[in-house]
Amino acid sequence: MKAVRICLAMLGTLAMGYAVLGAVTDPDDRLAGHLSFLLAVQAAHDAVVLPVAIGVGLLLRRYVPAPARRVVQAALVVSVAVAVVAVPLALGYGRPADHPSALPLNYLRGLLTVLASVWLVAGVMLIGTRLRARRPG
Amino acid sequence: MVRARVETVTRALIRRIDGVIRRPLPVPPSRWRRGPLRAGAFTSALRSERLTSQLGLWLGIAFGICFVTGFLSHAIQHPPSWFAWPARPVGLYRLTQGVHVATGLATVPLLAAKLWSVYPKLFAWPPVRDLAHALERASVAVLVGAALFQVVSGVLNVARWYAPMTFFFTAAHYWTAWLAIGALLLHVAVQLPVIRRGLSGRGAASGADARAQAGLSRRGLLAAVAVAAGTVTLATVGQTVRPLARLSPLAPRRPDLGPQRLPVNQSAIGAGVVAAATDPAYRLVITGPAGTVRLSLADLAALPHYTLSLPITCVEGWSADAVWTGVRVRDLLALVGGPADGPAMVESLQAGGRYRTSVLDPAHVHDPLTLLALRLHDEPLHLDHGYPCRLIAPNRPGVLQTKWVGRLTAVPR
Repeated sequence: MKAVRICLAMLGTLAMGYAVLGAVTDPDDRLAGHLSFLLAVQAAHDAVVLPVAIGVGLLLRRYVPAPARRVVQAALVVSVAVAVVAVPLALGYGRPADHPSALPLNYLRGLLTVLASVWLVAGVMLIGTRLRARRPG
Repeated sequence: MVRARVETVTRALIRRIDGVIRRPLPVPPSRWRRGPLRAGAFTSALRSERLTSQLGLWLGIAFGICFVTGFLSHAIQHPPSWFAWPARPVGLYRLTQGVHVATGLATVPLLAAKLWSVYPKLFAWPPVRDLAHALERASVAVLVGAALFQVVSGVLNVARWYAPMTFFFTAAHYWTAWLAIGALLLHVAVQLPVIRRGLSGRGAASGADARAQAGLSRRGLLAAVAVAAGTVTLATVGQTVRPLARLSPLAPRRPDLGPQRLPVNQSAIGAGVVAAATDPAYRLVITGPAGTVRLSLADLAALPHYTLSLPITCVEGWSADAVWTGVRVRDLLALVGGPADGPAMVESLQAGGRYRTSVLDPAHVHDPLTLLALRLHDEPLHLDHGYPCRLIAPNRPGVLQTKWVGRLTAVPR
């Protein structure tokens, strides 16, 4: 296992070195913008996105009753993942004026449709949980 | 004798380096240990080595798929000398690039869950134990940054939202992929014992703790992540899998929506070619060893035509089948004595732009499916599809299917 780990570490370090060398020498790679975006997404994720997610988790623990909590958590996981992909489409900044076949759909409606389906399934699961809890035995 | 001496020196050197990077660094005063740095600041009983290892395994596979398919796409567009991309199977690039984008989008919930599961490590105390620990943390920071960069820039690019991207997407996405895969290999090397422990079933959280919190179990969270990835895939994959188009309300393209029922990535107005492409004096200029010929649209119409079905496959992940009618490129090159085994250059009427020209390698030049198409779905090409004529070849990214072709040149080998 030690040999495998050493090989992996060396390969990884080489690939990272190649990446840095490539980015620095590629005239197409606007390095300052590249680096600042890399730091910005990391800062935004670690300082904003995850703390908010954990805060929402704590609120769920406090306010959502135990049998329903799992379902709500799962539905939120799915909803957020869909929203990450859909919101940039729904905002529509990438829609070109000169050819409407790029981003041709109403993505806000699409997002709401997917979210409605997700929460419909969650609702059915919640009702199932409630019925099972009531059943004696 | 010499060998024994080398061995002794090497061992001493390793010991010396080990001594330096393992030398404990001073621990910051404990009054600084506040907020998330406190012991027990993170209370979810769901986090465990087992959960992290399983998410990591999935994520590693996803990154591997994206790296290989992404590297292929880059190599096809900027071929290194050792690389050759075949003309068959016709739909291979459609498959690899469709998988690249679909896997990247499905990575969103995986990466989010993985980073959540290890978030408390960001607030480890003491922040750095020794130099080795500092290096390890730095490499993890590179991995997290590169992974987020790839997913976020990929999502923005699919949505064609270029304004927030302070870099040129294709170059930065490519080099960051090398950074991510390198940091991933290094991370696996460092964590291998933990990963093995986690995947073998040890290192699970206490089930009693998790049940007491009455939230998702580990399996429940994995299932939720899988459902999230599946939902994202189903909601978007109709951009390339046509039977699923109706189930994909978030598909960035619909394979049947656009001029002549085919999507367009760059319009004639956007490319600034309207005047040149509609000029009645248009001639296709073909150059080869035997000289140059200039063909009008009538001349082109008089040559043997072929009708065939080939997909347009965009690097952004959408693809669509279409029926094209036109003249074989190899027949056109034969008019000017083009060699049977050489490459050719295709030039657009565009004045500039990154994709004004493309090189057809010999496999594509001589494939009978490679056409300069004049008609699409049995109508003259729409201006946005490359009127008066465009290149259409099998197994080739859309950006290399040059539109508004003005010149075709046999390139000496």
